Amino acid sequence: MSAFLATLNRELRAYFFSPLAYIVMAALLLINGFVFWLIVSFLSDPRAAVGAPLELFFGQTFFFWLVLLFMTPVLTMRLLSEERRSGTIEVLMTAPVTETQIVLGKFFAALAFYIVLWLPTLVYAGVIARYSSVDWGPVASGYLGIVGVGSVFLAAGVFASALTRSQLVAALVTFMILVPMFTFGLLENLFNAEPAKQAFGYLNLWQHMDDFSRGIVDTRRLVYYLSATALFLFLAARTLAVRKWR
Amino acid sequence: MIEARDLTRRYGEFTAVDGLSFSIEEGEIVGILGPNGAGKTSTIRMITGFLPPTQGRVTVAGKDLSRDSVAARGALGYLPENVALYTDMRVSEYLAYRAMLEGMGRHESRGRIGEVLARCLLEDVREQIIGTLSRGYRQRVGLATAILHRPKALVLDEPTIGLDPKQIVAIRKLIRELGRESTLVLSTHILPEVELLCDRVMIIDRGKLVAEGSPESLRATSTAAARIRVVLKQDQPEAAGVLGSLPGVSSVRDVGEGGFEIECLADDDPREMIFRAAVERHWVLLELVRTQASLEDVFVRLTTQEVESPLDVDSGRAELSDGTEEVAS
Repeated sequence: MSAFLATLNRELRAYFFSPLAYIVMAALLLINGFVFWLIVSFLSDPRAAVGAPLELFFGQTFFFWLVLLFMTPVLTMRLLSEERRSGTIEVLMTAPVTETQIVLGKFFAALAFYIVLWLPTLVYAGVIARYSSVDWGPVASGYLGIVGVGSVFLAAGVFASALTRSQLVAALVTFMILVPMFTFGLLENLFNAEPAKQAFGYLNLWQHMDDFSRGIVDTRRLVYYLSATALFLFLAARTLAVRKWR
Repeated sequence: MIEARDLTRRYGEFTAVDGLSFSIEEGEIVGILGPNGAGKTSTIRMITGFLPPTQGRVTVAGKDLSRDSVAARGALGYLPENVALYTDMRVSEYLAYRAMLEGMGRHESRGRIGEVLARCLLEDVREQIIGTLSRGYRQRVGLATAILHRPKALVLDEPTIGLDPKQIVAIRKLIRELGRESTLVLSTHILPEVELLCDRVMIIDRGKLVAEGSPESLRATSTAAARIRVVLKQDQPEAAGVLGSLPGVSSVRDVGEGGFEIECLADDDPREMIFRAAVERHWVLLELVRTQASLEDVFVRLTTQEVESPLDVDSGRAELSDGTEEVAS
């Protein structure tokens, strides 16, 4: 437990003290702000269909996915690859710690920072609440979806970071895992036969976020996020345990 | 304290460590000596649990390093060859992080961090960012980390490499002090360091243990235990032959300008014969000195056999000259 907390603590510090984190944060706010403005100005047109702006904001635009697919690899790429590149892994893994403690410590630091990155978007809900009414249920489930999908993406990034000593390679591998994961789900639309449609539908992240933003919390999706996160973290810990390099 | 049985490590076709067995008792200071590429670092990495052995097993303080890994690693303090630290942290922050990683309580660690900072002469830089520290300071931060949790056994891989002479003296002094408190394993290719610090030496070459014992006993058991230096006033062409034929002399080497290096067995003393031989032939003797073989002789002898094998030429031999250089300086 103490090794987990030590790792979590150290990685959180590293996030908040690195310029990269602030660049990601600024980019995220810039894009989100633009998207929010776009949605609000679209809906305020009297001819527009009736819709809740926050529903659209959470996952119903392509921007959301673009941001997520590019942002998460950048957040996780350093975590384990840098330990290997600099050689700090040697004193880390000869301390009385387990691979699982290290991987979990790093993952939760990334997840915590990711959540902090999304916190400023609560302001949008506040803005809407001031001028109109907000249905807080769907807002909460929307954030739940963001955390769920994010945790899968970040776990994949932690795994990719365990594979290599190069941050760039780690980011690219993460991207190569995430893009098929995301597009596989979209294949749902190509099938009409039931089993295939259902199977791909289960993986359709776009559809997941669509439901979450409407306030539908489907436990199958939560199970999917949790199990995919656990799988990637398990793979990361195993990769770390097989220290065959050098 | 540290027990290795039949330790083997292969990297593909290459065998870095080949069936090494040794046991290090509590309180001992043991030096692992060998030319670079001899398998020192691989051995060290296997006894600290960083590198899993291809074969064989290690126990530390009675705990098996592969089965009871966390407990075994907890008994160890380790300073790797390349001291890698988190360069974005302050010295005190880093030590606090390490204390937490080692499972030390907050109260315990606060006192202990102050102690090791003082011990390793780091008090001036405790609030400095590690990335801005010089090599010598980083080495000391690494050492402070290694002793932080009061390990039963301390393993140091080339602790003085890359330091300036003044820093080397300081680190050696610290190592000698630490050796009084815990079992200490030290890997190095610098011979005086071993003579200075260690109770026992293990010489490793091409992954095998080639000799073991105290520095004194290693010198004594050497096949060429004694060496005699002879300097004649003038170069005598027949001198090498004459000296070589004297009883008790095992080899003669002409070092030029009338000088000769003679090797003989430890029990023999052919100096009288050399003197008589010189007088008979009217040679003027300028020097006739007997010296005990140094550990360096033992080392060179043990690690340079079969020089013909290609592996030696590009790894072992090249590093060796590096080792002797440091002896000379």
